[in-house]
Amino acid sequence: MIIFKHWELIKHLTQKEIKARYKQSFLGFFWVVLSPFFQMLIMSFIFSKVMRVNDLGVPYPVYLYAGLLPWLFFSNSLQNATEELVENASLIKKIYFPREILVLSALLAKTFDFALSTLIFLLLMMWYRIPFTPYMLLFLPLFALQFLFTYGVSLFLAATNLFYRDVRYLLSLVIILWFYLTPVIYATEFFPLQYRWIFQVNPMSVFINAYRQILLTNGLPNFPSLGIGVLVSVVIFIIALHIFRRLEGMFADVA
Amino acid sequence: MTAITFDSVHKYFYFQHQKTVKELVQALFKRQKTLERVHALNDVSFNINSGETVGIIGKNGAGKSTLLKLIAGVSSPTEGKISINGKVAPLIELGAGFHYELTGRENIFLNGVIMGLKEQYIQKKFHDIVAFAEVKEFIDTPLKYYSSGMQMRLAFAVAVFTNPEILLVDEILAVGDEGFQKKCLDKMNEFKKNGTTIVYVSHAMNTVAEFCDRVIYLEQGKVKYDGKAEEGVSLYKQNII
Repeated sequence: MIIFKHWELIKHLTQKEIKARYKQSFLGFFWVVLSPFFQMLIMSFIFSKVMRVNDLGVPYPVYLYAGLLPWLFFSNSLQNATEELVENASLIKKIYFPREILVLSALLAKTFDFALSTLIFLLLMMWYRIPFTPYMLLFLPLFALQFLFTYGVSLFLAATNLFYRDVRYLLSLVIILWFYLTPVIYATEFFPLQYRWIFQVNPMSVFINAYRQILLTNGLPNFPSLGIGVLVSVVIFIIALHIFRRLEGMFADVA
Repeated sequence: MTAITFDSVHKYFYFQHQKTVKELVQALFKRQKTLERVHALNDVSFNINSGETVGIIGKNGAGKSTLLKLIAGVSSPTEGKISINGKVAPLIELGAGFHYELTGRENIFLNGVIMGLKEQYIQKKFHDIVAFAEVKEFIDTPLKYYSSGMQMRLAFAVAVFTNPEILLVDEILAVGDEGFQKKCLDKMNEFKKNGTTIVYVSHAMNTVAEFCDRVIYLEQGKVKYDGKAEEGVSLYKQNII
């Protein structure tokens, strides 16, 4: 396994990503927490006060945040990972180590951000007096699954972006579309019935629904649809890793 | 023992002339070449024994850097076989593997693990690396405040302490002040004495003739000469005039 064999390399590359980013900024790591928090405040105002979304069972800010944090992890990871190989081109041309490590450490750095920003989520739950239940522990395997899915998509994007930079531009469009087709700011039930199949085949929607079920409605996730999520994630990961390794020999030639 | 073996190695690149769709469409209408196959290495064969110091010379575009990439294992040959015996360490060009926002200390560790060193080993050698690089007072300062000479020295120092069996040097001695250049050459000579295989790519013919036992002279991807350093260098000098 790459993770065990190259653990120290992964560790230092991840640290680099984390440390380097907020150097020479006054608030430093606070930005990791502040940025999603302010996004949540803005969206909460728009959707609960202006558009008057309600009947969610829990207050809108906490409902939104439970979906927004995993979503931001996903979209920030993809955007970062896509650039990862291009940014490290000089390294890729000089020295060999498994290239997945670059993508993996970009994702681990984002995981660090995600973990920090969940602290605010916990405070929010206490603020709105939402009970903590043992179901919340399911959060960890669920995040692991989301990580696997994100990793698969990231590997594919990072490799292809090295050949054609169009990938990065295309991604920023796809991310917008994907955001609106995922129940982050709304609930699945708001969607017209004939289009709801989209959520079945969109793993991000499966994950976010599951997060809300275990965190907010203190129940179990919807296992059949989670099963589809597992299947899609694993298949995408295997295919992406295969493509990545096939292209790896050419990275130094095109970088 | 052979350290590096190239057995009729070919390397092709595909070079796309048109970078954008617009250019490509125009080129198709004008019937220009679109995809060109570049023969970067053409039937290259040689053996380098362990402990040899080999200079790779040739004009720009002769395939020198491609050769180094193949030895370093970052690129794979299109045809032919390459076998490498031993741990390869490239002297990374300035900047690669370094991050300017991180301190000298953080960069030593980062670069060290990239070069395949264990954290513990770097910890042990840390003072030697810092002493060799002569950056002791600035070790906790971000790299971006270093002079380019200091950055150079740090990069070289980390590479030197990797204890490679095969050292790839790409034109690195061309930079830095004279004092440090001498220090690098001394260190390279020490490597040479200790039996490290060195592959040295350079345009500085005097250093090559002085330092290397053997040169491989590449011309348009082919081995034009492989043998004694002085002869190879004088052949190159004749050709270039």
